[in-house]
Amino acid sequence: MSHLLPYMPYALLLLFTLALAVTGLGVIILPNPVHAALALLANLVVTSLLYLVMLGAPFVAMVQLIVYAGAILVFILFVIMLMNLRKEEYTFKVWPMRALLGIGAAAIFFFQIFALNPNFAGKALLGAQGPDAKVLADLIFSKYLMPFELVSLLIFAAAVGAIALAKKKA
Amino acid sequence: MGALPVYHYVGMGLLLFLIGAVGVIIRRNAIVMFLCLELMLNGVNVIFMALGRAKGSVEGQVIVLFVMAVAAAEAAIGMAIITSYYRTHRSVDADKADLMKW
Repeated sequence: MSHLLPYMPYALLLLFTLALAVTGLGVIILPNPVHAALALLANLVVTSLLYLVMLGAPFVAMVQLIVYAGAILVFILFVIMLMNLRKEEYTFKVWPMRALLGIGAAAIFFFQIFALNPNFAGKALLGAQGPDAKVLADLIFSKYLMPFELVSLLIFAAAVGAIALAKKKA
Repeated sequence: MGALPVYHYVGMGLLLFLIGAVGVIIRRNAIVMFLCLELMLNGVNVIFMALGRAKGSVEGQVIVLFVMAVAAAEAAIGMAIITSYYRTHRSVDADKADLMKW
């Protein structure tokens, strides 16, 4: 078995890429919005595992699980279930033309990123323990203190704005 | 455990971003378009994490945390807009939102 060990990172990479691709395609292909949201949930959980297993970032993995998969997804599912969507609204309209347009745009994005920056230097270590939450906190509360406070202001503004938008007009 | 060249991770994040971009273009349901936006943000997060890791700096993770906070604010606003749109139109079809069409 030990001679297979060098291939282990590539096996994991293949596994993660496949899982991300399948769940991501599920989001855009499944006709029912609830199923699409559940596919996105699976995608976010796989991403969290990717951070945990391959990128050595347990803190961000947990935050991803709690904030994204826990809070945001539940919120979106709640809104989906609040609206009683009829069947015909699930479908794709003018599907071939739009798909062609989408794939064309995707090809342009792909070309841009890999044509502009063809060789990303450096290697990402696998499995090794990365910096822990203390290092992260030191950075956030010193160098990034200003953006941190601004983000809190942004979330406050978003909460007020959401209430103002969604409440019934008196 | 060995190390992988970072462009594998960049390709992974790019794949997620592209799937999300295609989804925004081909779907009509505003909520599913919103889910695809989250997918694109997630792909960018993967690239940030991988590049930060490859350069040996923590700042990639810091940026990912900020992106998550902004995504939460975006979800609140987006869902409020979709709710108020649904209240007037009785649907979430993005093609029917043509009030400001010239």
